[in-house]
Amino acid sequence: MAAPVIDTLAGERAGKTPPAPRKGGRFSVHFAHYKWLYLLLLPGVVYFAVFRYGPMYGVSIAFKDYVPFLGVNGSPWVGFRNFQDFFANPDFPRLLGNTLILAFLNLGVAFPLTIIMALLLNEVRLSILKRTVQTLVYIPHFLSWTIVASLSFLLFALDIGPLFQFLNNTMGTSIDFLSDPAWFRPLIVLQEIWKNTGWGTIIFLAALATVDQDQYEAAIIDGAGRFRRVWHITLPAIRSTIIVMLILAIGQMLNTGFEQIYLMTNALNREVADVFDTYVYFVGITQGAYSYSTAVGLFKSLVGIVLIFGTNWLAKRFNQSGLF
Amino acid sequence: MKIHNTRGGRIFDAANYVFLSLIGIITLLPFVYVFAGSFATEAEITRRAFFVWPEQFTLGSYEYIFATPAFVRALVTTILVTAVGTLVQLAFTVTMAYPLAKKTLRGRNVILSLVVFAMVFSGGMIPTFLLVKDLGLLNSYWALILPAAINPFSLIIIKNFFQELPAELEESAKMDGATEIGILWRILLPLSKPVLATFALFYAVGIWNDFMSPLLYLSDNSKWTLQMYLRQVTAASDLLGTGNVDPNYVPPEQGIKFAVIVVATLPILIFYPFLQKHFAKGMLIGSVKG
Amino acid sequence: MIRRKLSLAAALVTATALTLTACSGGDAPAADLTSVSIMAPFLEAQPPGADGAVQKKLEELTGKQVKINWAPNASYEDKTNITLAGSDLPQVMVIQSKSPGFVKNAQAGAFWDLTDKLDKYPNLKTTFPDIQKNASVNGKVYGVFRGRSPMRSAVMFRQDWLDKLGLQPPKTVEDLYKVAKAFTEQDPDGNGQNDTYGITIPKWGALGTNSPYDLIEEWYGAGNRWTERDGKLVPSFETDEFLEADRFIKKMVDEKLINPDFATFDSTKWNEPFFNGKGGIIVDVDSRVSVLVNLFKQADPNNFQNKVGFVGNLEGPDGKLHAHPTDGYSGFLAVPKASVRTEAELDKVLDFLNTMNSKDVAILLNNGIEGVNFKAEDGKAATIKPETPEGKAVTTDIKSYAQLGMNVAGNEFYPVKQPSDYEQQVFDKRTEVMAEDLKSAVYNPAAPFVSETYVAKGAQLDNIVADARIRYLAGQIDEQGLKDAIKLWDTSGGNKVKEEINKLWQDSK
Repeated sequence: MAAPVIDTLAGERAGKTPPAPRKGGRFSVHFAHYKWLYLLLLPGVVYFAVFRYGPMYGVSIAFKDYVPFLGVNGSPWVGFRNFQDFFANPDFPRLLGNTLILAFLNLGVAFPLTIIMALLLNEVRLSILKRTVQTLVYIPHFLSWTIVASLSFLLFALDIGPLFQFLNNTMGTSIDFLSDPAWFRPLIVLQEIWKNTGWGTIIFLAALATVDQDQYEAAIIDGAGRFRRVWHITLPAIRSTIIVMLILAIGQMLNTGFEQIYLMTNALNREVADVFDTYVYFVGITQGAYSYSTAVGLFKSLVGIVLIFGTNWLAKRFNQSGLF
Repeated sequence: MKIHNTRGGRIFDAANYVFLSLIGIITLLPFVYVFAGSFATEAEITRRAFFVWPEQFTLGSYEYIFATPAFVRALVTTILVTAVGTLVQLAFTVTMAYPLAKKTLRGRNVILSLVVFAMVFSGGMIPTFLLVKDLGLLNSYWALILPAAINPFSLIIIKNFFQELPAELEESAKMDGATEIGILWRILLPLSKPVLATFALFYAVGIWNDFMSPLLYLSDNSKWTLQMYLRQVTAASDLLGTGNVDPNYVPPEQGIKFAVIVVATLPILIFYPFLQKHFAKGMLIGSVKG
Repeated sequence: MIRRKLSLAAALVTATALTLTACSGGDAPAADLTSVSIMAPFLEAQPPGADGAVQKKLEELTGKQVKINWAPNASYEDKTNITLAGSDLPQVMVIQSKSPGFVKNAQAGAFWDLTDKLDKYPNLKTTFPDIQKNASVNGKVYGVFRGRSPMRSAVMFRQDWLDKLGLQPPKTVEDLYKVAKAFTEQDPDGNGQNDTYGITIPKWGALGTNSPYDLIEEWYGAGNRWTERDGKLVPSFETDEFLEADRFIKKMVDEKLINPDFATFDSTKWNEPFFNGKGGIIVDVDSRVSVLVNLFKQADPNNFQNKVGFVGNLEGPDGKLHAHPTDGYSGFLAVPKASVRTEAELDKVLDFLNTMNSKDVAILLNNGIEGVNFKAEDGKAATIKPETPEGKAVTTDIKSYAQLGMNVAGNEFYPVKQPSDYEQQVFDKRTEVMAEDLKSAVYNPAAPFVSETYVAKGAQLDNIVADARIRYLAGQIDEQGLKDAIKLWDTSGGNKVKEEINKLWQDSK
């Protein structure tokens, strides 16, 4: 990070500025001193209050048998029935398992790859290559999952897909990637990597852009090689960004996203493919079970919030900066 | 600056360049196919599984979608809403992030907890719709901007970034009598260009790609954004086989699908390269002394 | 398609609107409807503009201001729910299907029960009471149904391959096997390579969705979704014929007469193997025949005849023809109670719908404007060539306006005249074959009934069997596995569904 010369005589210009109020003490004093900050805070707080917390009563839909025509208040109350149905559903363990496995795969594979990709891009000195590749890698993010799925079908099609043929010719494998349950998860993760890694690097690249170049020069003079420089300078510099991104990613863990998986699911791989999101979509659309999907969503949110606060606390324990 | 490169370093560089170029091509190819397909005839698209340039070039698909002013109108609308919306959302976010970056501010932790909470919990589509309706925002472009004014995730990252900036910057500015707002405006923001550029991009893309908001809030066809049209041509044909589609429905020709994708995606794609120069500027921060 | 009496609905809607705004009490007679609001889906890339020629003519013919809120088909269900949850409902809503979501709303009182009301209106009185019953919710008619071709099942094949191998078009399922086998083994395209096969089936599998599987099972005599056995209604998959049919399909899969990636093949590419000379047979709807002919025509305008041949339904092993019909309808036009408050207003809306279903409006919605984009020739609508910009605009727009067509008494508009004589022949033959097959149609006796348990978990249950069917065909499970899945359907709630359906069936007799 930047290290400008500090005006060490500041504290000695005695009497010019009153000391900032600490956390203790009367609020009105605190407020007066910080009034501009509270003013700046106001629009955002109003936004959250109105647009985020205003509709929060909708959470009660999870405890009702919601019929749009009857409205939230007019729909009958059913207590925890939706949740019971969800947990007692014989498919629940399978859904949970599939969701968790995909979540961990994404965290364990896709997340680090994003960082690695950002680091690799950062090491490029030929700026035209760097800028071009940076722009190209995020294009897939804009293509809808429908297109990604279409392409996957094209490439991996049994017998005729180019990738299928390539693998067949080089390694003699004759796997139907699109229907073999064992290959479903790798395929999903591969798609996710292709589609979103480039996009994910943007944040890290922004963070990397603020790293102090002087430290590199110093390290080079000291004879540090490429990997040592990355390990000792680059990574620590973006450590707080990595941790924040990790915490947020963990908080979103159970949201596998339904569209991608829905498109790649078929009768032959459904055992491993069905996750909460596809299940809820299926049930919601085919059975108009609004309340059910809200209940599952609520469950996922609860798990998410526990995970976020949990990992944040963990990060703090290891003396890292967390979310707050 | 010239960096003396070890042999290992050179090999690494070479491998890296090759690898990244390959990645670049892999990510580009599908879009090239879509782009090429938008200029091809239906027969050719059916015949050839994959190509990067059509044998029979035709503008038919583009003629079709531009035959009515609807498309051009949607394009202009989307650009305007995205531009204004990005600025508004960024303004909201930054003004809230700055105070929250001050650890000594009372109530900070409570507010942050509420923000994180809101990131995970939501009232749902219908209650939000009813709220927007009650606020009188139905059929207005503000319904596409305000409900998503602050993305909690972005707020937290920007706040963290402000936190990381050295406190001395502010202190010396305060010595010179600057107000909080002045500090924000004149010192912190210029230094935050990479981060601001990043989130300008995120917000812009968020608004650009938003399909649900126009669907729910804009009943007036003339106000539609491009995503409405895009979704329509790409999603509708997937319903075949679910038994849930009017049997008289004939899916749009694939060329038209591709043309819509190109028109709806290209503008936002080229937004990033424009922002890239702000990333480069950030590299100079470290060299600021005093 | 029947021209919808949108003007009628519009009239009624306007009357309602005026009454509402005047906040008058119940006794005042409904003022005349001057504008009607409708919510309808559009499936094309763009909706019609608000001031197109078709819109103007529609308002002229109905005498009302017709405000159509065109909503994109993607997420139309969401849009419907949102509209029902809000307070600004249109006077007429197009409902795309009898989905559980719709049923819930209807049973909660969201829509008018039109059961005995429609017959009073000459153009709304249907000539297909069975279809109207099918579209009802346990006998209650919640909207004017949108009639669709009742028979569409066809088997299409590469006629040139058939000719080369000296074969006759198939008449029975056994013939289908023979032709598929010949296409796979006897090099029908004569290129000396073993690169052709019989039938192409895409990823499809939900029960009762007119998939190739459903068709073949029906031809074997398993019935159409539900069938009567020993005085009770049972689901088709519980019959022996179902298992026989699937054994037949599996035999073809195992002998490689069907594309091996049938579980994953993208349905948007269904025409490709046929067109590119890989898979010679498609079992689907008869309209696909014309689509295929058109593809060949685009590729080679001088030599496209006799590439595509087709027949209708095939006879089963019992020597009988069990033709597979469609539901006969695709959703309906419902009238929400929140926007149409009184019976008097309802009367005006139905009056509007009556006009919408008149011959003139039907022609407008489905053919266009005579003299602008088509002219009537021998009872057919021939496109005016060369196409003027106005003509093109009308032709594009009517694709969406047709969504408003009800056609409860059959199509009163002109069939479209095909661009060439050959294509006209194909079209006429299709009409003929389908009409003939309709005489042997086997209907779903449970279509009107909505079982509570089915609404709650029917789709999930059906998935058990649908998936098992595919897995059986792919060899992942054996026939016992398929039978076990069917039993699982029973024990997971299917038994209750059977009970409820049978009770509703008995009660309706």
